[in-house]
Amino acid sequence: MAHVAFDSPWYLLLLAAVPLVWWSSFRSLAGLGRARRAMAIALRSVIFVLLVLALAEVQWVRTSDRLTVIYLLDQSLSVAPAQSDAMLKYVNEAIAQQRDHVRQDQAGVIVFGAESAIEIPPLDETQPIRRLETMVDREHTNLAGAMKLALACFPHDSQKRIVIVTDGNQNIGDAMEQARAMADAGIGIDVVPIQSVSVGDVAVEKVMVPGDVRRGEPFELRVVLNNTAGAGQEAQPAAGRLQLVRKAGGREQVISDQEVTVEPGTRAFSVREEIEAPDFYTYEARFVPQNAALDTVPQNNQATTFTHVRGSGQALLIEDYENKGEFDFMVQRLRAMNIEVAVRSTRPDELFGDLTQLQPFDTVILANVPREHFSDEQVEMLVRNTQSLGGGLVMMGGANSFGAGGWTNTPLEEAMPVDFQIKNAKVAPVGALAMLMHASELTDGNYWQKVIAREALKTLGDQDYCGVVHWGLREEWLWGGPRGMLKIGPYRQQMLARLDRMTPGDMPEFESSMVMAYKEFAKLPDAASKHMIIISDGDPAPPNYGPKGAIAGLIKMGVKISTVAIGTHGPPGSTPLKNIATRTGGKYYVVTSAKTLPRIYQKEARRVARPLLFERSDGFSPQIRYPHEMTRGIENPLPPITGFVLTTPKDNPLVEISVVSPLPAGQSTNVILGSWTYGLGKAVVFTSDAGHRWTSAWKSWTDYDRFFSQIVRWSMRPTAADEQGKFTVSTDIQDGKVRVVVTALDKDDEFLNFLTFSSTVVGPDMKPLDLEIEQTAPGRYIGVFDAKKSGNYLLMVSPGAGRAPLRVGVSIPYSAEFRERETNEALLQSLARVVPKGGAPGKYIDAPPKLGPEDRLNKLLEASTFRHDLAPATSSQSVWHLLVLVASCLFFVDVFVRRVSVSFAWIPRLASQVRNRVLRRAGSGDVEATIERLRSRKAEVTDQLKQKRSALRFEPTAGTPGDLESLKEGIGRPSAQPDDRETRPTSLAPEHEQESYTQRLLKAKKKLRGQRKSEREPPEQDTNL
Amino acid sequence: MHSELIQRRSFLRLVLGTPTVLALAGCDLEPSSAGRLQSVWGRSGISDGRLHKPRAMTIDANDLVYIVDITARIQVFTTEGDFVRGWQTPVHVNGRPTGLGIDGRGNVLVADTHYFRVLTYSPEGQLLDTLGGTSGPGPGEFGFVTDAVEDSQGNLYVSEYGEYDRIQKFSPQRKFVLEWGGHGSEPGQFSRPQSMAIDAEDHLWVSDACNHRVAMFDTDGRLIKFWGTHGSRPGQLAYPYGLVLDGEGHVYVNEFGNHRVQKFTLDGESLGCFGVHGRSPGELLNPWALARDSRGRIYVLDTGNNRVQCIEM
Repeated sequence: MAHVAFDSPWYLLLLAAVPLVWWSSFRSLAGLGRARRAMAIALRSVIFVLLVLALAEVQWVRTSDRLTVIYLLDQSLSVAPAQSDAMLKYVNEAIAQQRDHVRQDQAGVIVFGAESAIEIPPLDETQPIRRLETMVDREHTNLAGAMKLALACFPHDSQKRIVIVTDGNQNIGDAMEQARAMADAGIGIDVVPIQSVSVGDVAVEKVMVPGDVRRGEPFELRVVLNNTAGAGQEAQPAAGRLQLVRKAGGREQVISDQEVTVEPGTRAFSVREEIEAPDFYTYEARFVPQNAALDTVPQNNQATTFTHVRGSGQALLIEDYENKGEFDFMVQRLRAMNIEVAVRSTRPDELFGDLTQLQPFDTVILANVPREHFSDEQVEMLVRNTQSLGGGLVMMGGANSFGAGGWTNTPLEEAMPVDFQIKNAKVAPVGALAMLMHASELTDGNYWQKVIAREALKTLGDQDYCGVVHWGLREEWLWGGPRGMLKIGPYRQQMLARLDRMTPGDMPEFESSMVMAYKEFAKLPDAASKHMIIISDGDPAPPNYGPKGAIAGLIKMGVKISTVAIGTHGPPGSTPLKNIATRTGGKYYVVTSAKTLPRIYQKEARRVARPLLFERSDGFSPQIRYPHEMTRGIENPLPPITGFVLTTPKDNPLVEISVVSPLPAGQSTNVILGSWTYGLGKAVVFTSDAGHRWTSAWKSWTDYDRFFSQIVRWSMRPTAADEQGKFTVSTDIQDGKVRVVVTALDKDDEFLNFLTFSSTVVGPDMKPLDLEIEQTAPGRYIGVFDAKKSGNYLLMVSPGAGRAPLRVGVSIPYSAEFRERETNEALLQSLARVVPKGGAPGKYIDAPPKLGPEDRLNKLLEASTFRHDLAPATSSQSVWHLLVLVASCLFFVDVFVRRVSVSFAWIPRLASQVRNRVLRRAGSGDVEATIERLRSRKAEVTDQLKQKRSALRFEPTAGTPGDLESLKEGIGRPSAQPDDRETRPTSLAPEHEQESYTQRLLKAKKKLRGQRKSEREPPEQDTNL
Repeated sequence: MHSELIQRRSFLRLVLGTPTVLALAGCDLEPSSAGRLQSVWGRSGISDGRLHKPRAMTIDANDLVYIVDITARIQVFTTEGDFVRGWQTPVHVNGRPTGLGIDGRGNVLVADTHYFRVLTYSPEGQLLDTLGGTSGPGPGEFGFVTDAVEDSQGNLYVSEYGEYDRIQKFSPQRKFVLEWGGHGSEPGQFSRPQSMAIDAEDHLWVSDACNHRVAMFDTDGRLIKFWGTHGSRPGQLAYPYGLVLDGEGHVYVNEFGNHRVQKFTLDGESLGCFGVHGRSPGELLNPWALARDSRGRIYVLDTGNNRVQCIEM
């Protein structure tokens, strides 16, 4: 069904002017004759009406009775796997049984937890979902977010309904508010509640440690447990074992393991503990029930807390696991200078996995380690540890560090006093990277290709070239048209945007793409290193390995090709990829998990970043540019070095470049030692190494110990040696909020008042959270922050200038999903009661829990989610432009009607001929008559032509003294008697020679009008006479 | 709704586009002038009767259209696009078939590309026979199998690419007879022989996709002739993937890279093209295969648009 509507209906008032059009046209078109005038007036009227409709912005509105139903499936942790399977079965059956195929009803599925994702977009086909492919964060329930996503997914031209399948225990967002918004949009809401089975449970609520733990002083650890019964049941005491584990310095120790009986309700258990060595301690309490039936949610049986006892400074040195021992000499010398140094390699099992693991250390030294050894989260932790928790961060050189280590465009680069890219092209030899992307049949293959390309692009510097070849309509560069290798500098953001939109097709062969890359590499003489990466499942046709093939050309040019085989189909796929890598000196990677791909590409892109190393075998001496705490007591000249990594100092007044290299001369890229304060911590760069490849001469330098120990000491957190007060920090978690209480006493145990605390909190997702601490009583300061996510929260509370900051850890042991264990029926029923605009309220589709699974499913399916009780959907389309187009066309027709006289004289003749033929009247007489008519017509046409010619020539027409009269007659009968003048004498009176043909014509016309007028008024003339 | 869209777009294109095109292009409509669109059918989807990146197509003597897509489903349609039945290959995790053919007994030959074998199905979808299954260069071993055809004597020819671009011939009893080819661009060599066709004289026509040419062999693998150069002008080829013969001296080739179907004489003289890249009816996007029905109509597997277009050329 369809109708029209108007966006600006007031313009329709102009239609009242249509009679005006008729009136004015009727007078002005009087000379056209009746039929033509009527047609012209009609056309003008239509044109006018069309233009008015266009001004009123006419809309073509279509009404549809098609229905789209989107199912929102709760996948949060509070939904058991069996319930998740049951809801999938329900959705499959509901779509299969209830969807109206004829009306082309559509069905879609959205899954949600903390966030939402589209499992199946609205489609008008029935394809059972075997399993849910989309992964969402299950730690929270954000029903409102899922409803919002559904709202955005609905097609505009159908009725809309959502069916929410959930237990209703939302802990993010407000579903009711969103429901009202959906009702306003005419969207119906049905609810299918998941009935939680309420059972008994013992939960470890928290582990508490006093806020003022001091070295050698015993204190009490308290573990709070909560024993609850199921609905309608009587609570019973639950017996089990309560274990308490202490973790510090990479060691775990069980400090208590006892049999306990937890009475119903909240119960606390205490353990006496004493700390002997300064460190960052983690205490973990674990309850193991004797009878699992009394404790049905095992996820909430564990809780953690932290405490910190300060000692002297400690440093963590992270070295490359592939090049262990490079910094042993420095570590040994630092230890000799009384600095505690813990050494860990970048092997995954040694590397820190949590921000709390960095807390024992006051500074972290990254000793020539490449980017790909760290996950994004670990890089973020390093930055947060410095920025928000005040830890030091020292990055030391070597060929795998800074830009050459692939650290460009990472958050870590932001935290450093230098940029890892070289801004000056004269100094920095550039690299060029071409990536060849082939459509992957791997699950999420195309997504991972984008991730990889993005990572590789990020690793490259602004001066480097980058290009991506893929199959679009043919082999083509993703950017730059035929010139696909572009300098990244000005285009980085556009390139990233293009990558996001990339959809690589199925490339028939490698050769053509490699030829394209070869041609572009050849145009880049300034590129010092050229590299190509191919990612494929290996099923394009192999390249030409012969002397005329692209491989030979690329080898000659020094281009190395690394190939990444994903999901290759046996030797036919893997062998060509292996061959390409082997022949060109690149690397061949076999990938089984797509998640490892970005690291491979980071590593490969690093090959292009090699020009960032500056090396001179004859050596050169760095110079102290100006004094700094790190170079105190050290004088120029420093011993010579043979290389370092080029960087560019940040344009920031906080940046201090203490030591520089004389080479490359006159450049700003020759930083050897630089530092600045980043957030609460300090960051230092030393771009050469510490006695290995480039600084071997430094090992015998007398100031070696002083130089490096001063660097490390300067970067460390302030120590507590200058403590001027006693501060205790305690934390308390309630309803997803952490309350921080600080008690401040001076050395005489008097309250410290009016202090201004600055504080930072780092959440488990490494994001900083807001925390404002305000005084509420003498010496008592309180702040609160939201802690909805489970995991560790680290706090840094600084009591002001001159006082060492306090560090505290808070652990949210498990997701809020394990707290609420009963279905929130009140909310769900409220949602179902919401009345959509123009439609009927939704349904609360429930079945008694006592029914078996099949019966329950059948009961649920009795209520149709595809019922048509909603307001019909309308979609409108603006059509004013079409009306203007039609009006323009009609305007031409109008002009045609007014200016062109169409003769219909041929119709009677034709009719006569047809009649004669039908009646068989044909004969010689007819033929003669026809010939006669033809002759007559010929003569007529000839005369007309002659007349026209004479008129065009402006020749005076021959005429008698009374020729004006004859002219008048000619006008009176233009076609019937055209040949009179031809036969008349052609003499003209002299006075007439001065008049033009047009003037004479006008005169004749006037005369004729006068005569006609006189003919119309004979009675008056008679009277006058 | 679909037809309304087409009407509106067609109208606007006709009103606005044609004069502009004629003015700018000098009335050169040659690329799509050789064929007439008869029908378009097929729709994107994974349920029965819908197509998801279809890869290969063939038509049997009863004018039933067999199509395999990236879900490894072999679906049977009428020439009007009505779904008849369908089935799936036994395994398809590694990859999906890319070739279909009909043998002398009317069974369906499936080039199960990524499993290095040829499957023979009855028209109803019952698996009758499996040839190969082992990757390698030996007799009866295969790389990526692209197509399988039978000659009038019942001999089977199987084309493959990957490590070894070659064609293997098997006797009617499926015993290895001979092989020829090899990876390269020299005459007689192949670079991805994507599809094959047999003519009335038992000549084997091969679309040598990445060499952008068509080659003709006798049943002993002797090269008789080949033609085709890389390019996008009429007469040139860009990745000819599919190939059919009409028995009247014409070869029809669909070009994956040029998004068109081209009609040739047997000697490679172009007689016209149909299609340009696009999504409207009459336009093609990376077509993978061609087939011909008993009435001589050509069916193009318009892979990028998940549909089939029927044309007369």
